[in-house]
Amino acid sequence: MNRVSAAALPVWFWVFVAYLFLPLFVMAAMGFRDSNFIAFPIHQWTARWYGEVLADAEILSALWVSLQVAVYSMVIAVAVGLPMSFLVARTGGVTRALMITVIVLPAFLPVVVSAIAIRMFLGNLGLSTGVAAIAFGHAVGSVPFVVIMILTRLSAMSANMADAARNLGADDIIVMSRIVLPFLAPALFGAVMFCLLLSFEDFVRSFFLGGNDQTFPVLLYARLRFGFDPGLAAISTLVLIASTALGLYAERHIRRRNLGR
Amino acid sequence: MGVSGLAMTRLLVSARGFGPYRNAVDALARRPALRFALIAAIPVGWILIANLAPLVQMVAISFQDRYPVPPDEPTLWTLRHYAAFFDTPHYLSAFVRSFVFATLATLLTLIVVFPVAYYLSKVAPKGRRIRLLLLVIAPFWISEIVRSFAWILMLANRGAVNSFLDLFGFPGLPLDLLYNNISLTIGVLYLTSLYMLLPLYAALEKIDDSVLQAAADLGASPVKRLIRIVLPLSRDGIVGGCTLVFLLVIGLYAMPQLLGGPDDTLFAATIGQVFSRAGDAWPLGSAFSMILIGVALGYVGLFALLFRSRVPRGSA
Repeated sequence: MNRVSAAALPVWFWVFVAYLFLPLFVMAAMGFRDSNFIAFPIHQWTARWYGEVLADAEILSALWVSLQVAVYSMVIAVAVGLPMSFLVARTGGVTRALMITVIVLPAFLPVVVSAIAIRMFLGNLGLSTGVAAIAFGHAVGSVPFVVIMILTRLSAMSANMADAARNLGADDIIVMSRIVLPFLAPALFGAVMFCLLLSFEDFVRSFFLGGNDQTFPVLLYARLRFGFDPGLAAISTLVLIASTALGLYAERHIRRRNLGR
Repeated sequence: MGVSGLAMTRLLVSARGFGPYRNAVDALARRPALRFALIAAIPVGWILIANLAPLVQMVAISFQDRYPVPPDEPTLWTLRHYAAFFDTPHYLSAFVRSFVFATLATLLTLIVVFPVAYYLSKVAPKGRRIRLLLLVIAPFWISEIVRSFAWILMLANRGAVNSFLDLFGFPGLPLDLLYNNISLTIGVLYLTSLYMLLPLYAALEKIDDSVLQAAADLGASPVKRLIRIVLPLSRDGIVGGCTLVFLLVIGLYAMPQLLGGPDDTLFAATIGQVFSRAGDAWPLGSAFSMILIGVALGYVGLFALLFRSRVPRGSA
């Protein structure tokens, strides 16, 4: 029994890893198929799809929309999440529990519901769909994570640090910019990356809030419903590589910082 | 960082000699209420506008007879949109299907991912654990749409799986793998596994190896150790992971449309369809949203209440 289970666990693990990566490699391979249709096996290979999708104006504009939305929503989410964390850190007991509940609420709602509620709300204010609306929607989804990340780091900070600086004559702005923010830097870095990646991969909020502005996942969805060609596999592969690389870089960076190396 | 940081400090310190800056800072220091208001304004405003207002508005719309209300007509309040849900078998069945599917998907995710998390946190060589964890986390940042597409390529009639089986002269090809519950389950598991993995990993990592060693020394079989020690001690992780996964699946919108069968609409997609109809369907869609939120959160809350660890924190 012992020997069987000792072998079974690694096997299960690597089967799981294969399950995660096999479809991605298959997709990458499909991007090189020399044909207008998607099918296996691949007899002839070509790199032309990669060239074609990178010259496709619709895809490039969708990527540009995605990038804008990612940056705007990240800036909003961090600008809101940072003071929100300070506020929560000052409270305690029931107030704190209540505040955290309300703050993390968007993370627990079905995304479809949250996106539609925001759309109706913005519509009522006379605001239209588009990049700004998507950015707002993404920020609503990101703020809970930003607050949790910053609060976690903040709870590791000793109050003595700020007090010592104050005793030495530092005012609020110096304490904030020279003590608190540098201490929070790893959490802020993590929050920034998290917001960017979360926004970039989102479909539902972008779909309901975008109107005529299509982010990359929305465009891909529309094209997939229309038909498949190897070019879609090519561009998906490129996007996948970019976001995975960014995600892994962030993970490693944060882990290094946390280990104090 | 060091040099520019020092320059920055010098700049800030010299700014103290600057009258208006000094007055502002000192005025702030003397008025704790004002300081608090400055910190609180943005977050409180955000919570009201971004988290609460859209939801409150949605609740209100769900009880209105029509929305938007025509300018010269009074607002009529009604429960008829909630009644429509219970009166229409089509909606009701999509709702039930969603809950059954989400429950099964959550259980499946737990069963598949638990050994993975256990291997990563307890069995894998210590020096390699982080690298292996990163390996498994890597696909986390890929869009739901891209992942669905990748599985379409795997499972289509002329996809990778069928074409691979064809190499071995497998009979009865092509297998119908796509646009049914098989493809949807495989795709959903792909999406949910990491939401399950991280809480499980965090919980399992905390279990002291010596506890397991002691149980083994006292003659507990691996199965007994799993049931009596590992599962109870990782209960918080299990509850957390299941909650996350369930809420994720119950709200799935795009993947069921890309990978699932045409007749197996899930409730989130039903809500989306109601809203993309003419504008006067908004109250109906709002009522459906409220039903989904209410039942899903109640379900998850009940689950957490039943299974959360009864051992006080810290004594485990």
